[in-house]
Formats: sequence, structure tokens, C-alpha cells
Amino acid sequence: MIKISGVTKKYGMNAVLRGVDLHVRPGEFVTLVGSNGAGKTTLLRIVATLMKQSDGELLVGGWSIPGDAEKVRRHIGMVSHQALLYGDMTAAENLDFFARLYQLDHRQERVAEALQMVGLLARQRDPVRSFSRGMLQRLTIARATLHEPDVLLLDEPYTGLDQEATRLLDDLLSRESEKGRTIFMITHDLARGLDLCQRIAILNRGRIARIVERQEVNAAEFLALYGDVTRSVKERKGAQG
Amino acid sequence: MTEENKLASGNLSYMATVRAIVWKDLTMEWHTGQILSVMLVFSLTAAIIYNFALYGSLAAARDASTGFLWVTILLAGTLGLNRSLMAEQENRSLEAILMAPIDRSAIYVGKVISVIIFTLAMEAILVPIFTAFFNKPFWRPQVLFILILGTIGYVAAGVLITSMTVQTRTREVLLPVLLLPLTLPVVLAAAQVTAAYVAAVPPEWSEVQFAVSLVVAYDIFMVTAGFLTYHYVVEE
Amino acid sequence: MAERIDRMNLNRIVPILNWAAGIMILISLVVIFFYAPVESTMGNVQRIFYFHVGGAWVAAVAFFVALLSGVFYLRKPAKIWDTIAVGSVEIGLVFTSMTIVSGSVWGRPAWLTWWTWSPRLTSITVMWLVYVAYFMLRGAIEDEDRRSRFAAVYVIAGFVTVIITYLSIRLLRDIHPVILGEASETAQGLQEFSGIDSGKMVISLNVSVLTFTVLYLTWLANRLRLQRLLDDAAELKTRVMTRLQQQ
Repeated sequence: MIKISGVTKKYGMNAVLRGVDLHVRPGEFVTLVGSNGAGKTTLLRIVATLMKQSDGELLVGGWSIPGDAEKVRRHIGMVSHQALLYGDMTAAENLDFFARLYQLDHRQERVAEALQMVGLLARQRDPVRSFSRGMLQRLTIARATLHEPDVLLLDEPYTGLDQEATRLLDDLLSRESEKGRTIFMITHDLARGLDLCQRIAILNRGRIARIVERQEVNAAEFLALYGDVTRSVKERKGAQG
Repeated sequence: MTEENKLASGNLSYMATVRAIVWKDLTMEWHTGQILSVMLVFSLTAAIIYNFALYGSLAAARDASTGFLWVTILLAGTLGLNRSLMAEQENRSLEAILMAPIDRSAIYVGKVISVIIFTLAMEAILVPIFTAFFNKPFWRPQVLFILILGTIGYVAAGVLITSMTVQTRTREVLLPVLLLPLTLPVVLAAAQVTAAYVAAVPPEWSEVQFAVSLVVAYDIFMVTAGFLTYHYVVEE
Repeated sequence: MAERIDRMNLNRIVPILNWAAGIMILISLVVIFFYAPVESTMGNVQRIFYFHVGGAWVAAVAFFVALLSGVFYLRKPAKIWDTIAVGSVEIGLVFTSMTIVSGSVWGRPAWLTWWTWSPRLTSITVMWLVYVAYFMLRGAIEDEDRRSRFAAVYVIAGFVTVIITYLSIRLLRDIHPVILGEASETAQGLQEFSGIDSGKMVISLNVSVLTFTVLYLTWLANRLRLQRLLDDAAELKTRVMTRLQQQ
């Protein structure tokens, strides 16, 4: 579903991504972890068609990005840790706007359904400005899944969420996964990232350093592995200097 | 993945996208009233200042009234444009819009339409006020017509330029510097036509013909330029 | 096409153009001052006309080239298009300034004023302002790609002022004379230039326009080479800094 081959991204002389290879199969849930600045968000934005790669091939849903980006946008939904919602409009109006943009049928019902699913139906007429962080995140997920995308992209979705919101997000994600959606999530929260996915990839210094199957490791083992991968480069540098 | 495995590409209605954007802008304004209130307060204050600036000479004030009207529209317009496009910037909502399967130029068309609506609303209030303050017939249909035509060109340039300036460091300061020279041709021509039609003796068509054609030509050029290049302004 | 222009050996082309421009300037000075006939009504002052019209024409060409560069950049981003656009706008502004000043100097004896806000003079001033603002836009953006992109869009939108200026010269009755049309199509009042009235004038005008065009190309080539040197220097600097940091 998402095929990333040799993708690079340079800002001037600074290479953020140096050749990423990753294949996310249809219906799979893959988590990408890496330290801050490793390039995770950049990679996600490229997959989301918000940014163009400097080099390398990217196929989403069979379509080549960025050439056929318009064709595949209908099938992508993204949840960022920023709300990307209009604070001055109500929750229902926000969803209605995006329903119009995606030209969905039965707008009213779908909006109501989506609000129901994230537990915000009671607050639908309240301005989004007044929402807590958890409620914002829930509404964002509603917005991202409104058009039933085949691919769901998540950028640090757990940031700033309290326990209840976290649980809700977990539920939502496993439900989406069961529906057969392809999910690609980036996070630096190693514990969270591990639970829900089927595979984890580690992005380090602009490349995929390791990919492991969820079943093969437990949390402790993974933590150690992660430390190894990210530390070894620093140690090697330390030895030189 | 092979050809047959591609997800279906959708063809969405262009006008529906434009309508969505216009509806959203109008709804936002309904909730906050920020754009109209800023434009109105500014223009009313300006009208009063003009009135007293030339208090000593009523005739001079009346003569300059057309100029005052268009200067007000010009300046209040930059305020309205800034507010309208800053709203997208502040909410980072443009990203979510860009992820939707829509034509980027539809965003431009939608924004132009909604800002034209706001600007015309402001002008609808300015016309009676200017007519009363300066005792000149700004309500004449030809004047209204050229007001509309001039506004179209101004906003077409305005949305394009403002979409760029809100992404820069110096935002509010840069906008007038870029927009004022660029829109002078249409504003000057429209002002000339306005002045002709509020005069005691209405002009012959041949006198205003060039100016009106210039306004129309400018409108067409700007809308086309914006339509074709907006994609490059909003996308990385 | 971008790569071909990029690869041009500017170090060889620039000196050739420099010489060509120098020679053409000398030739056209001779032509303007000695070959062109004395104009019947205005006398020798009229000779400014050759600089004025030549400059105006090449300014329009320069801004048009900038427009084309902008279009090419948007279609397929390459630094060379951005540099050509910047250079062309810079040079276009110089020629526009020359046109405005020479026009004012020339008009003074006839109009009895240095300046007036007639449509044509107003429109060329607006055109000048629009392209000056180009540099303010560029100055406000740090990201290189965005700067070039926005500059390209601006140079496309701004071209409307060039169209309006040159149209108003052709179509409007104004204090500013029309020179390529009926001699009678001149303003009410204050000017007396009766239009092109001899083949020698046409030739002189063509020489002048040709010279200015060569001058434009020469300056542009120099500007391209200058930019290349600047880019090379910047790249070297970055490489040295990276090397130093690694140690």
C-alpha cells in the first residue's frame, strides 16, 4: 500500500532523509520510531503528499507520488499532533466543511456518526476553541477518518493526551485496524508505539536502521535494541574523536 | 503494485469545492465578525478624518471624495485580506485542506469570492456614507458597477499576494508594500471612472471607455494569473 | 534547457559580450549624434528620444524575459531560472529609471514641467514600483525554494503593469507623444515632436534599440557569472565548515 524506495530529502546542504526503504502492506499497522530530528515527520509529510521528496520513489495505493498525488489524496487521512481545525467554528461545522471538501454523500449523517464515534456528539455545537487537548485529538481523528480513507497516517498522536484520551485513541486505532485500514504511525513514545502495531521500524540518521515484527520482541528487548541502534553510531564517533 | 491494484481516483466537482470554501469563510465570519468589523471601523474612521481634513474647503473635499473612497477601499482591503488569510495560517488549517483531493486553484477562487463578498459589504456601507458626507451621487448605477469591477481585480491580486505574504517573516508590513503598487492600475482607472460618473454632468462613453476596458482587462489578467499560479503559492 | 544554459561557459562569453557592448555603444553614440537628422521642431534636444525609446523597449523585453523565467521555474525548478529573473528585473529597473529620467529631461522644454501625473507617466512609475517591490518580497523570505517560487509568481502577476504601460502609450492621448503612428496622434497642448519623419531616424532608432539589447544581454551574462561565483563561494564555505566540524 505504501512503498517507499530510496527516498531522500535535502534542505539545502542538510540531508534529513538519506535513502529510506520501507514497504507497508495493505491492512498493516506499522509504527516508525526514532529520536527527534531523525526525519520521521518529514517522511510522513512526504507520504501524506504535503511535501515532495528530493529523490527516490514513493508509491501510495499504486499511485506514484508526487506525480499522481491528486489521485490518491481521497484515500489518505492524517492525524497530526496539531489540530488543524478552525477554532472559531463548532465541531459539527468543522466536520461539515471537510465533508464538503471530500464531497461525501449524506453529509449530515456521516458527521453525526463520526462525532458519535469519538464521543463528541454532545459537544457538536461548541466552538472548537473551547475543547481540551484530548477532545481536539478526538475531533481530529473524526476529521481524518470521515472520508473512510484506506490509509491512515498518524504523527505523534499521543502527545499531550491524558489517560482517558489515550485509551480512547487506542480503542479507535485498533478498531480502524480491524476495519482493514493501513496505518502508518510515527512516535517517539516507545511503549505506546509497540502495543498496537504489527511491525516497528527504527529511523536513524535519515535511514531505516531496523525493522522488527511485533511478535518477535517484547517491550524490554525492543527498548534495548533501540538503544543499541541509536547509540552505536554515537559511540563510533566518540571513538574517533 | 501493479496497474490493476491502484485505488480508484475520484473526480470531484470544482464548483462544489469553491462553494465549500466560500461557505466556510462566511461561517467563520458569522462567528467572529473579525473581517467586517476591522474593515468597517477603519473605513468609517477614515471617512470622518477626510471630512475634517478638508473642513475648511467644502469644494476641495467634494472634489477629492472619489479619491478618498478608493483609498479607503484600498487600505481597508488590505486589512480584510490579511485577516482572512491569517485565519488559515493561524489554524494551520491549510494543510488539512491541501490533503483533500481538490484543485488548488479552487481554494483561490473560493477565497477571492468570499473576500469580494466582504469587501462589497463594506462598500455598501461606504456608499451611503460618502454620498451623505460629500454630497455626491455615489449611488449612481454606473458607479456601483465600476465599484464591483474594480473590487474584483483588487481582490484577485490581493488574495494571490496575501497568500504569499502570510508565509513570510514580515507579513503585515510587507502586504501593503507589495499590493499597493500592483493594484494601483485598477484602482486609479476605477477611480477615474467613478469621478466621471459622480460629476454633475455624466460623461460620454468615449471618455471613460479606455479606463473601463483597462479595469476589465486587469480583472481578467489577475484572475487568470492567480488561477494558474496559486498552486505554487500554497504547495511546497 | 536549464542545464544547457547552466553549462554555458560564461567565462568565454562574458568578455566577448563586454567588447560587443562597448563597440555598439560607441557606434550608436556616433549614429545618434552625427548620423541622425536634426529634428525640425525640437532641435537637438530630440536626440534624447533614441535613448528614451531604446531604454523603454529593452525594459519591456527584460521584464518579459523575467516573466518567462518565472514560468519556467514554476514548471521545473532550477536555480538558473531564478537568477535570470533576478538579473532581468534588476536590469529592467535600470532601463526603466533611465526611461523615466530621460523622458522627464526631454519633456521639460516642451511641457514646461519636469513631471505630471498623466496616465502614461503614472503607469510607468507604477511599473517601476512594482518591480522594486520584487526585491522586498525576496528579502522577506529565507527559504530558498520558497523565495524563488514566490518571486516567480510575483513576476508573472506584476507583468500586468508592463502591459498597461505600453498599451497606454499606444492607445491614449496624452501629453506623452506617440511616435509610431500618425504624426497627428499627439497630445493636446504642450509637445511638438512631430513623429518619425525620415528613414534616417528609423535607422538611428533601430541602432539604439539594438545597442540597448546587446547591453541587456551583456549585463545579464555578467550577472549570471556573478551569481555562479557567489554560489560556488557559498558551497565552498559550507564544505569547509562541515570539514572543520568533523574534526
